Amino acid sequence: MRITRHPILEFDRGRKILFYFNDKKVEGFEGESIASALHASGVRVLSYSLRYHRPRGFFCGIGKCSSCFMTVDGVPNVRTCITPIRENMRVRRQDGGVGELSDKRFAARKKMVVDDEIVVVGGGPAGMMAALAAAKQGASVTLIDENHRVGGQLIKQTHKFFGSLEEKAGKRGIEIAEELMKQINSVPGIHLILSTTVVGCYNNNTEDGGDRYRLVAVRRFMDGDQLLDVFCKRIVFACGAMENMLAFPGNDLPGVYGAGGVQTLMNVYGVRPGDRVLMVGAGNVGLIVSYQLLQAGVEVDRVVEVLPRITGYHVHAAKLRRCGVPIYTSHSIKEAYGSDRVEGAVVVEVDKNYAPVSGTEENVSCDTICLAVGLTPSVRLLEQMGVKTEFIPEAGGYVAVHDQSMQTSLNGVYVAGDASGIEEASTAMIEGQLAGVSAAASLGYDRGANELISRCRNALRIFRSGPFGEIPRRGKEKIAYLFDKMGKKIWGDSEL
Amino acid sequence: MTRKTKNDDFPHKADVVIVGGGINGCALAYQLAKRHVDVVLCEKKYLCYGATGRCGAGIRQQWSTRENTELAIRSVKMFEKLEKELKMDIGLRQGGYLIIIHDKKEMRQAEKNVAMQKSLGLNVSILDVDEIQDIVPILDTKGINAIGASFCPTDGHADPFKTTHAYAYAAAQHGAKLYKFTEILGIKKKNNLIDHVVTTRGNIKTNTVINAAGAWSKKIAEMVGVKLPNMPFRKEILVTERIKPLFKAMVISFKDGIYFSQQDEGQILGGIPIPEEKPGYITTPTFTFLHHMAKTLTHYAPSLRHVKVIRQWTGYYDVTPDARPILGETKGIKGFIQCNGFSGHGFMLSPMVTKILSDYIIDGKTPPILEKLNLSRFDDKKIKREISVVG
Ligand SMILES: Cc1cc2nc3c(=O)[nH]c(=O)nc-3n(C[C@H](O)[C@H](O)[C@H](O)COP(=O)(O)OP(=O)(O)OC[C@H]3O[C@@H](n4cnc5c(N)ncnc54)[C@H](O)[C@@H]3O)c2cc1C
Ligand SMILES: Cc1cc2nc3c(=O)[nH]c(=O)nc-3n(C[C@H](O)[C@H](O)[C@H](O)COP(=O)(O)OP(=O)(O)OC[C@H]3O[C@@H](n4cnc5c(N)ncnc54)[C@H](O)[C@@H]3O)c2cc1C
Repeated sequence: MRITRHPILEFDRGRKILFYFNDKKVEGFEGESIASALHASGVRVLSYSLRYHRPRGFFCGIGKCSSCFMTVDGVPNVRTCITPIRENMRVRRQDGGVGELSDKRFAARKKMVVDDEIVVVGGGPAGMMAALAAAKQGASVTLIDENHRVGGQLIKQTHKFFGSLEEKAGKRGIEIAEELMKQINSVPGIHLILSTTVVGCYNNNTEDGGDRYRLVAVRRFMDGDQLLDVFCKRIVFACGAMENMLAFPGNDLPGVYGAGGVQTLMNVYGVRPGDRVLMVGAGNVGLIVSYQLLQAGVEVDRVVEVLPRITGYHVHAAKLRRCGVPIYTSHSIKEAYGSDRVEGAVVVEVDKNYAPVSGTEENVSCDTICLAVGLTPSVRLLEQMGVKTEFIPEAGGYVAVHDQSMQTSLNGVYVAGDASGIEEASTAMIEGQLAGVSAAASLGYDRGANELISRCRNALRIFRSGPFGEIPRRGKEKIAYLFDKMGKKIWGDSEL
Repeated sequence: MTRKTKNDDFPHKADVVIVGGGINGCALAYQLAKRHVDVVLCEKKYLCYGATGRCGAGIRQQWSTRENTELAIRSVKMFEKLEKELKMDIGLRQGGYLIIIHDKKEMRQAEKNVAMQKSLGLNVSILDVDEIQDIVPILDTKGINAIGASFCPTDGHADPFKTTHAYAYAAAQHGAKLYKFTEILGIKKKNNLIDHVVTTRGNIKTNTVINAAGAWSKKIAEMVGVKLPNMPFRKEILVTERIKPLFKAMVISFKDGIYFSQQDEGQILGGIPIPEEKPGYITTPTFTFLHHMAKTLTHYAPSLRHVKVIRQWTGYYDVTPDARPILGETKGIKGFIQCNGFSGHGFMLSPMVTKILSDYIIDGKTPPILEKLNLSRFDDKKIKREISVVG
């Protein structure tokens, strides 16, 4: 399952590491996640559903779902897709879906208090740019990400990006991530905290009358967790998005993955998800991941797309077609079958109203089904604080209503990137920059802040004026309209 | 945002209009429709949007006042038969309530309560420390200075979503009309009789309105110039990740205000009041609560230190001055019926309360309990307060 030859990537695998899965020895490489090492060793079933004990496997690959929960060294419900392997680690499947209460000594690490001017949650392209922009203005920034490296979705994007911010066009996502990481490490004023998940956000203004916000985060160490109690004056939420699921029989079989999960497996860890893939969705993500699968030596049977047209960029579709992968528009998946993993799927044509046309069912032989059916912004932390959110279909779901400087309905709380509406890494970077500069400027820092703000706004306008910027543009217009309607009133705490 | 939608099916008249689609509104709709009353329920958001969908859904019969105890005992009898009656799963589980007794004073009160509860036929007893440990092995009885506990094995829990939807579904089967995303905007009178209600989807002519709007009941009453003494209080609650089942009882302490239990699927669910909470329509969760709850919970059960909290949220208690509900007809306005003010125990009382109210509406029956819990009791300065409250 390991990829040995790849046209773009070279997998510099670290030291071999031995660990145990259900008491059997398994091998992996240093720096790899548990789920990826298990996948490479042929383990497909990671957990069982609670009620019906259905087998569940790798799905999202970014710690957002629960299908990879396992007991690790006696600790139940560990998200194995974002937990790195260690020598002699004991990994077990949870009997009946639930883990047992750990009888280990409680590793009571003292909580750490962080007090900073600006906190950025999420270290993807949006968060990295926000932190950089704010620090370059002179502000002191803490950047928190739950992975053990920054980069967000960029670290798995091996394709070349299209023109946007002039300087980044033609670069691959992974290269952009490298570059930004270097800058993060060299620009003074940025405190990077990794392997740390922000789990709660509180509006301290209403809680103790102060003018600060309070975040609670959990930092993972080898021997246990540590609580971080974080205070700050400004927050930028750049926590990205979650992949959408599709409803069809068999959608929870091991072998049904989100496109991002597939990308993580093959491009970050160099592990092939399977041998033959059915791709669902012909937007950019579906097309790009299909091509990347071919590059990794995986066959792609076909791409099905429920709309009557391909929604991704023409070049990506053309590349796939040249490689002989058919794209079926007005088609969707009807079901996946198999006993404890995907053994095949049935696809079907749909009519004008997206209803399946009976008699058009076709069997697809595949061991992997990849869902590239869109993303939903991660807004739960924002909602917890009482930020005003609205359902905007063009932005991918509920998003925080925000103004032109990316500030939400709460004073000093900003949002950027996919969390503010699903778009692209390019716009995520500009929005991040905008949010970071605006947050710093509101604290009185000014090293050409206004000029930069208008440059960013202009760049966003240009980017969204193209034909592919149309949907996000409509989404952002609705958001701007709603913000104005709020009459600049800071909502704060009110009735839901 | 409120929007008027033209809808031809929307009824122009009804025998009874119910405001609110929580457990009480839906159970009322069922009780009335079952007896062929033409009833319309309007819910401004979705079923269970209010306290019902946010509550602990514990069912307890151990109370200090006779009224609450009696209502709860009779409700439990109904809960036990509900799945069969409504032909749907309600997730009932009777694992008992274990009320911790920390000192002599609490012991005296517990003895008094238990005697009263037993006189009403309840199977309840006072346990010693060893017996407590058998029921909830992870409790640190020494650490919390438990000298005993009262325990009633038929207390328990039901799923608030399943129960509400079971009632709603059965109500619809009997012809009740339930409208979601339909807000009551006004109630209009003619000669001291209710004439019609104004909703976001049109007017409904009716002479009877039941105010089951939970923490918003006060606002509904204002529509006809009635002042309710109820106050909305934010109440917080949290749930942890799932772990193998360890105990079945709900543990509560009046001294610490904590309550917690483990659900069938493994989550620990519980809450505690935060000091100095002021009334108001505030819904954001607080760090103060998370901290206080985590500290108290791990004080009660130290091994839970390993368990991660996965979610915290808030809901309202609709609190009356005596922590008892307001039920029945409103003096001066015929046909305006109260079913609110349930504080922290409106889920467990709902089966019986809604049965009594529907019998009153249909047959004019007024059992003593309806008189005692009428709004008019607050005209009188002396009120008898329910003291066995948590959360
Ligand atoms: C297959 C694919 C191909 C793509 N191709 C392109 C392309 O060609 N060009 C382009 O411009 N865009 C492309 N995109 C889109 C682009 O990757 C995203 O729009 C972009 O990564 C969004 O950036 P972000 O910073 O908002 O979020 P993310 O990159 O998702 O970063 C969010 C980060 O926040 C962290 N985080 C979230 N919650 C918390 C928390 N509570 N505590 C701590 N950390 C947290 C996450 O772990 C993550 O690291 C592609 C996307 C996919 C899936
Ligand atoms: C944290 C917490 C824990 C609790 N734990 C327990 C427990 O363990 N046991 C127990 O028995 N009870 C408990 N309770 C209390 C219990 O939840 C409530 O007493 C009960 O759910 C009340 O139900 P209801 O149907 O009367 O009101 P609600 O469920 O509040 O329903 C009222 C409905 O009215 C609707 N509404 C309001 N205004 C309008 C309008 N103008 N037009 C139309 N609709 C309107 C609202 O949207 C809402 O859905 C708890 C409560 C909380 C908050």
